[in-house]
Amino acid sequence: MVNLTIDGRAIQAPKGKTVLEVADANGIFIPRLCYHPALKPIGACRICVVEVKPGPPRPLPACATVVNEGMEVTTNSPRVQAIRDELMKLVLINHALECPICDKGGECELQDLTHALAVDKVDLEAVKLAPNHDYESLFVERHPDRCVTCGRCIHVCRDHVGAMAINFMQRGYFTELGSGVLPLDCEFCGSCIDICPVGALINKLWKYRARAWEVVKIESVCPFCGGGCVYELHTKDDRILRVRNEKSILLCSKGRFGFPVVEAPDRLKTPLIKDNGNFREASWDEALDLVAAKFQEIAASDAGAKAIYGIGSARATNEANYLFQKFFRQGLGTNQLDNPGRYTYVRALKGLAAVFGSPDVSGVEASTALPQPYQSPLTPGAEAKGSGFPFVLGKFNDLPKADLALVLGADVTPEMPPLGWKLLRALDNENFRLVLANPRHTKFDRYASLSLRYKPGTERILLSGIFKAFFTANADYIPSISAKGLEEFKESFKKVTLKDVASKTGVDEALIKETAALLAQAQAPAIICGTELLAQDKGEQNALALADLFLLIGKPGTPGSAVYPVAEKNNSRGVCEVGVLPDRLPGFVAVPEDAAGLTIADVLDKLEAGDPAAPQAVYMLGGDLLRGLPHRSLTEKLLKKVPFLVVQDAFLTDTAKLAQVVLPVAVHAEQEGSFISSDGTLGVLPAVLPANGVRPDWQIIGQLGEKMGYKLGASHPKQVFRELAQNMPLWAGLGPKASGPLMAGEVSGTFVPFEADLSLPGRRPHTLIIGKVLNHNGSYTTHAPDGTLKLVPRAELSLNPEDAKSLGLAAGDTAKVVSSQGEISVPVVLSPEMPPGVVFLPEHFAEPPVHLLTLNSNLVRVTIQKG
Amino acid sequence: MIIPFIKGLATTLRHVFTKPITLQYPEEKRQVAPRWRGHPELTVNEDGRRRCVACTLCMVVCPSNAIKGIVAAEGAEHEKYPVAFQIDLTRCIFCGLCQEACPKAAIKLNNLYELAQYDKNLLYLDIDRATQKKSELRMADWL
Repeated sequence: MVNLTIDGRAIQAPKGKTVLEVADANGIFIPRLCYHPALKPIGACRICVVEVKPGPPRPLPACATVVNEGMEVTTNSPRVQAIRDELMKLVLINHALECPICDKGGECELQDLTHALAVDKVDLEAVKLAPNHDYESLFVERHPDRCVTCGRCIHVCRDHVGAMAINFMQRGYFTELGSGVLPLDCEFCGSCIDICPVGALINKLWKYRARAWEVVKIESVCPFCGGGCVYELHTKDDRILRVRNEKSILLCSKGRFGFPVVEAPDRLKTPLIKDNGNFREASWDEALDLVAAKFQEIAASDAGAKAIYGIGSARATNEANYLFQKFFRQGLGTNQLDNPGRYTYVRALKGLAAVFGSPDVSGVEASTALPQPYQSPLTPGAEAKGSGFPFVLGKFNDLPKADLALVLGADVTPEMPPLGWKLLRALDNENFRLVLANPRHTKFDRYASLSLRYKPGTERILLSGIFKAFFTANADYIPSISAKGLEEFKESFKKVTLKDVASKTGVDEALIKETAALLAQAQAPAIICGTELLAQDKGEQNALALADLFLLIGKPGTPGSAVYPVAEKNNSRGVCEVGVLPDRLPGFVAVPEDAAGLTIADVLDKLEAGDPAAPQAVYMLGGDLLRGLPHRSLTEKLLKKVPFLVVQDAFLTDTAKLAQVVLPVAVHAEQEGSFISSDGTLGVLPAVLPANGVRPDWQIIGQLGEKMGYKLGASHPKQVFRELAQNMPLWAGLGPKASGPLMAGEVSGTFVPFEADLSLPGRRPHTLIIGKVLNHNGSYTTHAPDGTLKLVPRAELSLNPEDAKSLGLAAGDTAKVVSSQGEISVPVVLSPEMPPGVVFLPEHFAEPPVHLLTLNSNLVRVTIQKG
Repeated sequence: MIIPFIKGLATTLRHVFTKPITLQYPEEKRQVAPRWRGHPELTVNEDGRRRCVACTLCMVVCPSNAIKGIVAAEGAEHEKYPVAFQIDLTRCIFCGLCQEACPKAAIKLNNLYELAQYDKNLLYLDIDRATQKKSELRMADWL
């Protein structure tokens, strides 16, 4: 602590804080314009000048001056007031006086400052500049005549988003915010808009729709990826008008511009029942009666309740998914349910569980505190501790404390933007090393210490090479986690030679050795893996290999040292934690092996084989299986075989079209509930909008249960959460915005050898990767024509320009992509980021159905022809 | 005795031949003072377009909530203009704050004073009925 005085007031302040921060904390107002708490001090506006003794004779900017012992600060001497007055006049020369129509009016920091400093006239003159308005860019509108050149937007874009899309052009009075190209070519996260103190950057979705003071602000959680960003919905007359993150400003394009999906024109409004192959609109009672009668008929038949299969949803809330599994387990008395994360996130959990074991928590007590909404009724006692894989899963806020991150098979920003922002924070630390392994050039290659450009499908071979190099260089290395089976594990790499690995993966031997050396040195290593890796046919083996690696090098007691598997959807982690798995109850409690149900993959196999144990009815809580699962033609054929398919979804997706009954559900802003984000944070979702005829998932499940005579106790999400959390020692102490698990973890593990084989057989010349693009998440965002669909309106085949040249293709041409499973036609875009021989397609779109090409993986060998 | 009578008659006769101070209302209308506060209305430019930019400051300042339902839209030149604007004359207290708050001189109390109606609905003005029409009744010099 240091002692100082501000305006004669004696103040104690922590070391390293700036004068402005200390003044704010003590209720002393220093005027400022360019300073923003989410950014590092910029020091551009100089409005916050203060006199500092002892110090230089000139005034200093309070935002960039660190407090010292014995400092005497004067914030309002006539001298600094005169300077501020002069500076304000300079800012206000030719400032466009458009406050009546400027969207910032009412929340404009320049307006507030002009009032606070009582600047009533500007007696300076300067040539008027031609305003180079940018009305062309999507979502962002630029008004340089309103700009105060504070530089906040540039800093947020460069340091926090990593896009570096905008910068100042010209100098002095002529300084102007520019992007080099018009229209703007960036990530369209819109963070620059919300950080702008004035109306120089305007959100086009918000423009002219309301004044700032008219909106109702409600805190909610973003439903567009597993990042769990907390943001505020600004609504007026039951419509969402914009979305803001007041605290850190950062949101991605999906979060900020994805909300029009709520008002998507193709939203289902009434239940649909299929009669003679055509859907007709039905009442809720009729549809639910039909489903209940059909389920009861099947349960009473010879096939029994086992013949009803449930597929949960990573979009639905914890409460809905909990009731869903309760409907099956308590109502029907079976474990016949699973969630579509089976093809991605569940694989990561299974791989980690194989090495680190299932969670086991002890020392949890009933909470004595008054019950709060969405607060677990359990609390971790003083002795509480836990073990198992949830304790190696990382929390985003800890990632910046890591000193090394190995990113394998993840294009971080498209997979989960908040994880990318945290990586950028980690990069602030000069000792931080980023090792990036990806077949493609990704955004973070720019920051990587090492880039391993391996051939698609060779991840495990690469990892075996890294292990080999690691053990060769550090023969006596002792893992800091208590681990069993290290010797046997070492043995399994005996036959591996780095030369062989290098030739198979295409990664230089020296690079592999260097990676192993960096991993061995790391004091707080983090491992990040994405769906690109997990969605492969042997995704679970990939996860297992990474789990082994973390067991070897991980330091779970050190903040930041953890595994960060990307949970692609808002509740991918929650749906697993609340037990929508055939072999796990809520809280990952194991089901006895003989009672465990079938996985989705098993069900599809049984349907294919025509097995009598194949389900007679499938109840799906949403999610477009056809769009998400590999080998679409087979999935479609098999789902058509299901005699009675019930789909609960907000849209008539391709999967819903196969259903006999479709029940329309409320989407995120229309229902209450909670999500568990990828890092275990509980996000609470309030119901902001009226549901207009559709019903929330939990209510539909509850009503269906009621009609079938089950007492599911679904009276309100708050009450469902309480019941759910009561059964989850893993969630002890969890509450809104808290990240679980909250007890001390004792991590130990066993090395499990993995199969170091190639994941991509076949002879066709190109390798197709099916993955994610930044502006979409699943198929959810592709339904809103006013949302991010504008940014990426269709699937395009990214192709290396050299490859395109040899194939005779140019940008915009239609290519025919042929695999052993099928063929599709798709427009081509040239992308130097693709290595030769590798092509990329986004998975999000209905057209073309990319999974027509795949067999059991997101990777497939294809032939590309001119279409 | 007769003198007061003649005096009185003289007064009467004088008034018979002087100009009357009463108006033959409603045939004759009274000219109101320049600062007369009639009901608020939206003014127009020379080209007949509304001056209003839908900034909603009049709505904010209105003490009796007589102004509501302002909906803005974006024009071809990116200008902001109102597509809906309601003035509820049953609530208006003719205080003139809207006129004072307006940065564009787009709302102005006119000099109309015949506001009584048989049908209350006629006092709810939508954007078209709130817009200046009877230019002959406006003072020319108020801007």
